[in-house]
Amino acid sequence: MIVFLLLPALLLLVVVFVGPLLRYAWLSFHADSVITGLIAIPNGGANWLRLLQDQRFWQDFGQTMRFSGVSVGLELVLALMIALLLDQRWRGRDIVRTLALIPWALPTTVMALGWRWIFNTPYGPVDHLSRIVGLGSLNILGDPSFTWMATVWADVWKTTPFAALILLAGLQTIPVDLYEAVRLEGGNAFICLRRITLPLLRPYILLALLFRLSQAVGVFDLIQVLTGGGPASSTESVALYAYLNALRFLDFGYSATIIMASFILISLLCVLAWIVLQILIPTQSKSQEVVES
Amino acid sequence: MSLNNFLRRVLVSLSVALLFSASIGLVQARSIESVSFLMAAPFADATRDLVTQFNKEHRGKIHLKVIRGPLETEAISDLAISSLLLGKAPFDGLLMDVTWLPKYAAAGWMEPLEGYFNQNDLESLAMGAREGNSYDGHLYRWPMTSDMGLLYYRTDLMDKPPETPDELILISQTLQKDKKIDWGYVWEGRQYEGISCVYLEMIDGFGGDWLTPNDNQIGLDLKPGVEAATWLQGTIDLGVSPKAVTNYAEPEALQSFKVGDAAFMRNWPYAWAELQKSDSAVKGNVGITTMVAKPGHSTSTLGSWGLTVLKGSKHVDASIEAIRFLTTDAAQKQLYLQYGYTPTEQSVFDDPLLLNESPILADFEKALKVVKPRPETPLYAQISDVLQRQLSSILTHEQTPQAGLDVATHNTRQILISAGDQP
Repeated sequence: MIVFLLLPALLLLVVVFVGPLLRYAWLSFHADSVITGLIAIPNGGANWLRLLQDQRFWQDFGQTMRFSGVSVGLELVLALMIALLLDQRWRGRDIVRTLALIPWALPTTVMALGWRWIFNTPYGPVDHLSRIVGLGSLNILGDPSFTWMATVWADVWKTTPFAALILLAGLQTIPVDLYEAVRLEGGNAFICLRRITLPLLRPYILLALLFRLSQAVGVFDLIQVLTGGGPASSTESVALYAYLNALRFLDFGYSATIIMASFILISLLCVLAWIVLQILIPTQSKSQEVVES
Repeated sequence: MSLNNFLRRVLVSLSVALLFSASIGLVQARSIESVSFLMAAPFADATRDLVTQFNKEHRGKIHLKVIRGPLETEAISDLAISSLLLGKAPFDGLLMDVTWLPKYAAAGWMEPLEGYFNQNDLESLAMGAREGNSYDGHLYRWPMTSDMGLLYYRTDLMDKPPETPDELILISQTLQKDKKIDWGYVWEGRQYEGISCVYLEMIDGFGGDWLTPNDNQIGLDLKPGVEAATWLQGTIDLGVSPKAVTNYAEPEALQSFKVGDAAFMRNWPYAWAELQKSDSAVKGNVGITTMVAKPGHSTSTLGSWGLTVLKGSKHVDASIEAIRFLTTDAAQKQLYLQYGYTPTEQSVFDDPLLLNESPILADFEKALKVVKPRPETPLYAQISDVLQRQLSSILTHEQTPQAGLDVATHNTRQILISAGDQP
C-alpha cells in the first residue's frame, strides 16, 4: 500500500532527476557534436580522458571551489548573525524581516547587471568612493586579482537572506526554557550560543549549507552577466564551461562529461561538508547532557 | 415553462452561431499560411510597422508573426538552438547573426535558399553585404541589415581622424596632455565576442590574418598577430585607454564616449543613432571612419543580421515572400531612418535623397567596403573562445602577447584537427 502512495513522488523524481542523469552518463561516453552532425557515436572514454587532461576544467573547478567556499562560508556566518538579530523581539522587526528578503527575491540577472554598473570603472559608485577615500581607481571588474571577490560579494549580498531565513526558522523551534535553564545555572550568553543555539540549530545549518553549496557550485547566471568568465578567465565556473560547450560549441558529449564530473565532485563535497559539520558542532544529545547536568 | 423554452431557444441559436463562425474560421485558417520568425527584441520592435504592412497586403493569404526574442545576441542564439535541438522548431524563420551560419549549416538546420534568389538579387547587394550568407556552396541567409566595426572620433577635437595606429596614440596623448580629454580610446576589451571583433580589425590592420579561409593557416602567433595584441595592450599601458576597458563591452564604451570622456571609440553603427539623441554630450561633434591600420590594410569586422528559413518549415515559399518584403529598398530606408539599421542594398546607398537627409550613410558605405568576416567555420565559437581567453590574459598582463598567442595558436590548431580539418 505504502509503495503505491509513494509511487507518484518516485515517478516524478525519476523523470526529472534520475532520467537526465542517466542520459548524461550515457552521453559522456559518446561523441555528439556539430562535427558528428549531432549524432551520438560511442567513443569509449575519450571524453573522460580529455577532461582529466583539460587544464581549463581543473582551473574552472578550482575557481568554482574558491567561489563556493568563500561565499558560502561568509553567508553562513552573516546569516547566523542576522537570524539571531531577527529572532529577538524589538520594534519594527517584522518590517526588517521582510526587507531583509528583498535581495533574495530579486532575479539574479537583474541584480548582476546592477552590480556590473555599481562596480563600473570609472562611472560606478564603488570606484567613485574609492577615489574619494584616496585608494585611487580600483578597476574591480577588469583586474583578475579583484574580480573574483566582486563575484563573491554579489553572491553573498543576494543569498545571505536565504540562509538567514532557514536559520531563523530553526531558531524559532528552540524552546525558551532551555535558555532559562542555562541562566539559572549561571551561564552567560556565549554559553547559550555554544551549548544550546548552535547544537540545536545544527540540522538547519546543515540544510542551509547543502542548499547554498549546491547552488554556489553550480553558479552560472551571476558570472555570465557580471563578468562573462573574464578577465583572463579568472571567474569562469564549471557550469559556465559546460554551458559554453553545449550551447555555443554544440559539443554535447563533452558538455555531458563536464556535468557528470561536477555532479560526482559536488556529491563528494556534500559528504565532506557533512563530516566537517559533525566534528565542528557537538550533537544535540551531548548538549542536552550539559543542560541536564 | 415558457421561460425554459425561451432559454433553450437562445442556447440553440447561440451554439448554431458559434459553430457557424468557428467553421468559417477553420476554412479561413486553412487557406491562410501562418509564418513566424524569431528575432532579437530590437529587430522585432523595429520591424513592427513593416510586419503590419505585410499582413495588410497579404490579407487572406499569408500571416506573418514575429516572435520577440531576448535582447542579447547570445541569448537569442541559445533560445534558437534549444528549440532546434528539440527537433521541429516552433518558427519558420530566424534572424541570425553572421557568425552562427556555418554552425547551423553543419547541424543541418537551414533550408538552402539559392533556388529562391537569383544572380540579379545577389548583385543588387552592396559589396560587404554579400559576405557571410553562404556556406559550403549554399546560400542560407538573406541579409536584412549590415553591421561593421567603426572608429568613432570627435570632430571638435581634431581636424581629421587618424589613419594609423601610431597616429591614434599620438593624437590621444596630445589631447590628454593638453587636458582636453580624459581618455584617448575606448573599446571592447571584456572577455567575450567583442574582443575578437576588435582584434580581427587590428591583426588585419597590421597585415595579418586570423585564419586564412581556404587553407586554414593560423596567423595569430605571426608578426602582425603579435603586433596587434601588443598595440591593444599598449593603449592601456600608455594610459590612452582606461584600465577598465578589460571589462568594457559596447554599452560601457558608448557610455564613456557619449558623456564626452573619450576622443575615440570602437563600436557598431547603432552607436551613431545613440550619439544623436538629446542626452548625448557629443551630439554634432562625432565623425566615423574605418579602423586605424597600416596604410592600405584598413579592415572592418563584419557583423550583419540576415533572415533564414529553417529546415522542416512547411511554409518555405511564404517565408521567402516575407523575407523579400522585409528587405526591399523601401523597408531598408525605413529601418535606417527610424532605427539606424545600416542597409544592405547598393541602390539604397546610392539614393541621393537619402544621402541628402543623412550624409553619414556615405561613411557607413565606405566601411562596408572593407568588411572582413570572422573565420567561417562551424567551430568558430570554439576558436573565438580560445582567442578571447588569451587576449584577456594579455591585456591584464597575465601573459605576454607572444606567449598568449602561441597558446591560442596551439589550441586553435587542436580544435581544427579534432574536427578533421588539417591546418
